[in-house]
Amino acid sequence: MAVAQSVDISESLRAELARAVGPENLLHHRDELVVYECDGYVIEKNVPDVVVFPTSTEQVVAVVRLCNTYDVPFVPRGAGTSLAGGTLAVGGGVMICLTRMKRILEINTRDRYAVVEPGVVNVWLTRALAGSGFHYAPDPSSQTACTIGGNVATNSGGPHTLKYGVTVNHVRGVELVLPDGRVVEIGGKAEDTPGLDLAGLVVGNEGTFGVVTKVIVNLTRDPEAGRTFLGVFESVDQATETVSGLIAAGIVPAALEMLDTLMIQALEEAFGFGFPTDAGAVLIIEVDGLEAGLEHEAEAVAEVVRRNGGSVKNAIAWTTRKEPEYVAIWKARKSAFGAIGRLSPTFCTQDGVVPRTKLPHILRRITEIGAKNGLRIANVFHAGDGNIHPILLFDERDPAQVRRVLDASHEILEECIACGGSVTGEHGIGVEKMEFMPRLFSPSDLAAMVALREVFNPQGRCSPGKMLPIGVGCIERKSPGRHAPA
Amino acid sequence: MNWPDSPNDTPLGDGRFASAVERPTDRQELADALGRLAAEGIGLYPQGGRTALECGGIPARPGVAIDVTGLSRVVDYPAADMTITVEAGLTLAELQRTLGAQGQRLPLEAPAADLATIGGVFATDSSGPRRFGNGRPRDLIIGVAFASSKGELVKGGGRVVKNVAGYDLPKLLTGSMGSLGVIVELTLKTRPRPEATALCWSTWPGMEPLEEVLGVLNTSRTRPVALELLNGPAAEAVARRSGLDLPAGGVVLAVGLEGTETLVSWQLDVLEAELGGASGLVPVRGSDADRLWGALTDHPAGGLALGGEGEASSALSFKANLLPSSVVAFVESIDPGRWEVQSHAGNGIVWGLGRPGIEVDRLAEDVTRLREAAVSAGGNLILPRCPTDRKPSLGIWGAPRGDWELARMVKRAIDPAGAMNPGRFL
Ligand SMILES: Cc1cc2nc3c(=O)[nH]c(=O)nc-3n(C[C@H](O)[C@H](O)[C@H](O)COP(=O)(O)OP(=O)(O)OC[C@H]3O[C@@H](n4cnc5c(N)ncnc54)[C@H](O)[C@@H]3O)c2cc1C
Repeated sequence: MAVAQSVDISESLRAELARAVGPENLLHHRDELVVYECDGYVIEKNVPDVVVFPTSTEQVVAVVRLCNTYDVPFVPRGAGTSLAGGTLAVGGGVMICLTRMKRILEINTRDRYAVVEPGVVNVWLTRALAGSGFHYAPDPSSQTACTIGGNVATNSGGPHTLKYGVTVNHVRGVELVLPDGRVVEIGGKAEDTPGLDLAGLVVGNEGTFGVVTKVIVNLTRDPEAGRTFLGVFESVDQATETVSGLIAAGIVPAALEMLDTLMIQALEEAFGFGFPTDAGAVLIIEVDGLEAGLEHEAEAVAEVVRRNGGSVKNAIAWTTRKEPEYVAIWKARKSAFGAIGRLSPTFCTQDGVVPRTKLPHILRRITEIGAKNGLRIANVFHAGDGNIHPILLFDERDPAQVRRVLDASHEILEECIACGGSVTGEHGIGVEKMEFMPRLFSPSDLAAMVALREVFNPQGRCSPGKMLPIGVGCIERKSPGRHAPA
Repeated sequence: MNWPDSPNDTPLGDGRFASAVERPTDRQELADALGRLAAEGIGLYPQGGRTALECGGIPARPGVAIDVTGLSRVVDYPAADMTITVEAGLTLAELQRTLGAQGQRLPLEAPAADLATIGGVFATDSSGPRRFGNGRPRDLIIGVAFASSKGELVKGGGRVVKNVAGYDLPKLLTGSMGSLGVIVELTLKTRPRPEATALCWSTWPGMEPLEEVLGVLNTSRTRPVALELLNGPAAEAVARRSGLDLPAGGVVLAVGLEGTETLVSWQLDVLEAELGGASGLVPVRGSDADRLWGALTDHPAGGLALGGEGEASSALSFKANLLPSSVVAFVESIDPGRWEVQSHAGNGIVWGLGRPGIEVDRLAEDVTRLREAAVSAGGNLILPRCPTDRKPSLGIWGAPRGDWELARMVKRAIDPAGAMNPGRFL
């Protein structure tokens, strides 16, 4: 389903871009560009006409100005791990890749913030903070690859955001290059900056407001200690009932992740972490806090596990997140996607959310929907948040399978909506889920969102064809030289 | 529409009064009223518990008060999901009672909780001491619906705890001071009520050692949920307001704790060691702790909002936002003879209440100097309370910032008629 569109990038624009960022920071040969035809969402593809790698805010400004002068669309990109096609160069144009703006500019533990460039990979900050007693809380499973700029754009979550909050709860301010090339400082290092909470609005904008060139993030105290263990169950039902039971009992673990049997088997085959392959489902449960309270909390959790027919295995007591057994469990969880290759040549990860009491129901429905469409579906997800990630396995070369994957995805997401949930908890709308926006939001809701986008991005030149469906408001101002997004 | 000829029982703040009041009990009715009135060029002034009417610029055009207290239902409370959806006119205290019946709470406090509506609390981005451990309003809101001056109902977010569909309107509306629309519904994250809370009230001969103490607490073995720093007169006022017999007279640092009984007791013991240099330490627990939390929460509003029985109200108050490490020096530079000062020191927030009897001119001089100091330390300083005639010269919302132009454009996008709370904020 290639979008196959491009704009005429004239020789002179290319030359000016090369002057702006340096020829070593620009790609334009077709074979080099193919890498950038898609991100983690592989169902739609389109190559950008040119990719630039600016190394400073000034260079980003220069690139954006040139795109305005030549009336060419542009799209920011971090590591390209988006699972919703957030970086797809709809309509071609210039891709602004931020991976060479990768400095950690400041770390201040007394005032609990850090300032980073957008291309800093999430885990680099965690590493830089090791031993300081502080950490950066949002920890997407892709954290060894994804950038903090990308996290800000998508409002990323992760296993530990259940207790500690998602990206938006940890961003104090950003430097933003607006789509017309102006630079604004939004928010700041101090809390409660007077004015509207534009930092709160900018987080999760999916690249439609401009290019984030600096981020001020919160630093969080490390817990004194923790307990991490597996809840092992015969069935998915028991595991999801346990999740609902924990939340209903008022227990908020630091992390609460679920893997089903298909996922466990793939992981074991690939990495041999020692998960019980005969289990129907496993919960990775973590509690953290002050040592003096942990036994009590862990026992309360274990009680709910047992009440639902499960057993507790591999309990680890830790004081730093460095213990080898601890590292192994989380490496396993975060490698889950890497292991899928064992099961299937291609896969599509869905990202829905349901109220946590509805988890047993939605997992049953996923099984039914998979069976009905003749698809295998593996599950590994942020159970404590009600954020499901069914992974639909298929062979991309078989158009009939692709169709069934799209149908099944659709049906699962419809069911999330019917449960009072959402079609995306963390991956974003991107190009993938625009059709669902009118199902979640009324025309006046969408019109307000379009109006907000126009404040930042009035020409629609920055990341066109994303998030808000075409046909609401007056977003598609087609300018000459740019093909309308498909 | 003109300003009313004489004062009536619907104040808008700054000695101005509403020409009429709308008190809808249905949100569509409310949206329709906004659309109709805005089309006639009438100003729209949302009101909840009227606890913060004096906050902001002077109402700029004659208009109608939009009383939200007729919308006060609990829409949906799936306790087992730890979320609640309520209408905006419910008071914070009533909300907490509803949650309390299920062993839960909203981990948020605001002055005058019996009067303050939840819509008002979020619109003004109010918070209290425990924001250090429990977060701010923006961290608790997951869904919002508001009525706009276009006569539309607009919603953002949803009812699940994690959701990135669409722009984050819940964050945008939080702290928007009624300048974008009238919040009619909010979905919030709830938390279990902690088994115990306590405060460690420590007195100090002066400010001098406190930056070091706060540095120690920043990496304390305990995990405080509040770090309240009070100068002499503020400590006295808070002690008095709490009705507890607490030593005052010097600088006070009150460290707040929450958790199981065991954890709270353990932390109080640890704090005793970590606060070794204090001249006095009083652990405050149980219902006494509740009274002290209440006093610490209400004090920054200075009894103004509360109609302050027997309390002289302060004519001028400020709220500075700083980096936590600059709080002590900042507070030290403020004359306790003129100001009661309370700081949420872990968050860099400093409240000052001009003391009764001090001439406004003197206070105004201080404000100008303190704002410069705040700005040069990377922060700012606003005036939640200010005599009307000083508002134009003193600048209610602090030193101008680079992102205000964008904020005004956001305002124009959502409220093109400019009808929402004209003059007050944007
Ligand atoms: C194996 C795997 C596991 C994952 N696990 C999680 C998870 O646990 N939680 C989660 O939330 N997500 C997860 N994701 C999704 C993805 O990693 C996140 O969305 C991540 O934040 C994207 O970061 P990135 O640097 O790769 O951004 P990209 O994919 O490059 O871009 C994502 C979006 O951000 C925009 N963007 C990027 N940088 C900027 C910038 N500087 N300024 C403006 N806009 C910008 C892009 O235009 C695009 O819309 C996972 C993905 C994979 C492949």
